[in-house]
Amino acid sequence: MIKNHSLILHTEKQSIHLQIPEDLSVRLALDIEGLRVRAACGGIGTCGACTIKTVKGNFTSLTLAEWQKIPPEEREHGTRLACQLYLKSDAEVFLDNPAPSSNWKSFNLQHWPNYHYPNFDVKNSFYAVAVDLGTTHIRLSFWDRNTQQRIACRHGNNPQVALGEDVLTRLDVHRQREANLQSLTQIVRDAIIEGIRDILARDIGEIKSILAKVGVVNIVGNTAMLALLSGQDGSELYDPESWEHPIACLADDVFSWKQSWQMPNANITIQAPLAGFIGSDILADLIAINITQHSKPILLADFGTNTEIALWDGKQLWLTSVPGGPAFEGVGLQNGLSAEAGAIRAVNLINDSFVLETVDDQTAKGFCASGFVDAIALLRIQGELKLSGRFLNPLPEGFLLDKSNAYTAIKPGDIDAFQRAKASTAAAMQQLLVLANISTHNLSELWICGAFGQHLNVHNAQTSGLIPTMDCSRIKLFGNAALSGCEKMILAPNAKKNTDELRQRIHVVNLSHYPEYDDYFINHLRLQPFIRDE
Amino acid sequence: MFETYIKDYNEAVFEIDKELALEVIEAALEEGVTPEQVVFNIIIPSIEEMMAEIVINADTNLAQHFMTAQIAAEITEKMLAKFETTPESIGRVIIGTSYGDLHSLGKRIVMGCLKSMMVDVVDLGVNIKAEDFIDAAVAQDAQVIAISSMMVHTATGEEGSLKVRSLLKERGLEDKIKLVVGGAPYRFDHELYNKVGADSWAADGVTAAKIIRELILEGKS
Repeated sequence: MIKNHSLILHTEKQSIHLQIPEDLSVRLALDIEGLRVRAACGGIGTCGACTIKTVKGNFTSLTLAEWQKIPPEEREHGTRLACQLYLKSDAEVFLDNPAPSSNWKSFNLQHWPNYHYPNFDVKNSFYAVAVDLGTTHIRLSFWDRNTQQRIACRHGNNPQVALGEDVLTRLDVHRQREANLQSLTQIVRDAIIEGIRDILARDIGEIKSILAKVGVVNIVGNTAMLALLSGQDGSELYDPESWEHPIACLADDVFSWKQSWQMPNANITIQAPLAGFIGSDILADLIAINITQHSKPILLADFGTNTEIALWDGKQLWLTSVPGGPAFEGVGLQNGLSAEAGAIRAVNLINDSFVLETVDDQTAKGFCASGFVDAIALLRIQGELKLSGRFLNPLPEGFLLDKSNAYTAIKPGDIDAFQRAKASTAAAMQQLLVLANISTHNLSELWICGAFGQHLNVHNAQTSGLIPTMDCSRIKLFGNAALSGCEKMILAPNAKKNTDELRQRIHVVNLSHYPEYDDYFINHLRLQPFIRDE
Repeated sequence: MFETYIKDYNEAVFEIDKELALEVIEAALEEGVTPEQVVFNIIIPSIEEMMAEIVINADTNLAQHFMTAQIAAEITEKMLAKFETTPESIGRVIIGTSYGDLHSLGKRIVMGCLKSMMVDVVDLGVNIKAEDFIDAAVAQDAQVIAISSMMVHTATGEEGSLKVRSLLKERGLEDKIKLVVGGAPYRFDHELYNKVGADSWAADGVTAAKIIRELILEGKS
């Protein structure tokens, strides 16, 4: 069992509290947090840029790199290299000169799958990039295909958010003015290359020469984002005729695109979306979990602004999508937040009192999605919230989980947003189960993908009926599944063939063809467990 | 006498307790209330009360609205079957969602309300072309075309209400057939109905049914 220790990091401007596992370097922990040390060598101690001063606590011993890179007088005053530094107790450190703030953060790579495929002959252009382009976030990883090693990962905000929170708003923006299309395309292309350059600058220490050796860039994502990335106007998304068919996202300016990225040898592939509102991100999810290798039924949901759902019945894949709504992104609730400092990420009921867990242990400033799911389930269990979504004792200020903190209030409108989001998702799951004639008892696994799923308390999600009732041990959370599947596409020798075969097995379901979906939707508005017996 | 029934029925429906709502109605029937009175004096006023609450209280629950409308529609169907004489229809409306729009729920609630107000409803479904609205209205001798749009581009698109209006004009049907619209975009812009060539609009199911009823009656007078 790996221990966690508390770290207080001081800078001239702020102090932050972190929990760090013993086997994670201080540099990587700060990369994940976003308050980063300076770095240029990928954490092997050769650049000496990531100096940090220890103030209190026990740490691992000085390494050879630290003896070489840190002058004796600074070593005596507690200066260390953050990439070589691991905690052995709770500790405090001071960071004198943080790296400039950035849109990009690293992932915690613990529990991340590693792949080992037989090496294939990649001579010069052996670097490869996997990209998952989402409505709100971009995730990417950089690979050396010869050694089959992931050099680093990053995630950052999709800067298009500034032009519209959801997909349709962004498409509407560009429909109003042609110039906007170019800007939406350029903004997202600039963001992706900025993320790649961030990895090269910090984790390799060279940029231009490495970019020239990139042979593959594989991009998955939701349909609208990929259409905009390729330079298309997304008009197909407005036409119901094209909603059930794959949408080709082929850029007609690939040459200049590669030039602008300084990647002359790269084959940039945008994986074609499966249908109008079913992107290739869910295709990557399915590849990540090897879904077609299983003989028993599996349900998979990738929660987000647009929630995509897949059901494997042992022979074919039933796929659909529904608007997840802002409730699953935290935003859209009166006190909704993304998973930022102070966001309530979990709620527990201890001796009939609500105990809040917040990101970075800060004072609660609002709810992120996982905390909100907990709150609803516990309010139901306590009887404060009825089956209908009405409060037992409605108050003008809403229900405060912490009576002294107005940011912990839940209003009827928040419950309503959650009810509608969960009903559309659960009803879509039910529709697929009905079409494939599968009961929830027969599901061997339920996979929950997307950032939303990462911190989800599945028991609480079941209490309110967000996901089907089944043994929790059969429920798997996989936050970065789409990026993981995208990585497999650039590494596995038969990736293209396997991906094409998978596409052949997909049956896209347009829920509007099924009048009973409305009934399922209304029934799932009730805050009660979701069971499909028949 | 209806006030108590309305109160009990509303409370049951607000708690989405269909069984209890039915018990209230059964009790009313046993005490001599006719099925017609149940529909016109209990169910419709209760929906109106709920709508009033939605307008007053911005925090009110839309999910609640959907669930209660479903129960109301079910009970109305049961009562209609018990009417002593087959209720006489006051007119006919063709309903559907606009071209490119697959959201059917709002339309469904309007249909439930229309039926309880004795209006014949012909549902064309979702993603309906302008020509199909017109052809159906002519073939079925309908007085009103009602179009639901849940997205701005389907409300304002050239293949939607705008085209229905131009076809009505082209075929000289404007006096005989009225055009009503509804859906989320119209709630944000109260003049939008005018811009898309509609005669009227409504913010919710009950209002839509009332407006359609008035348009039918106006046309007859």
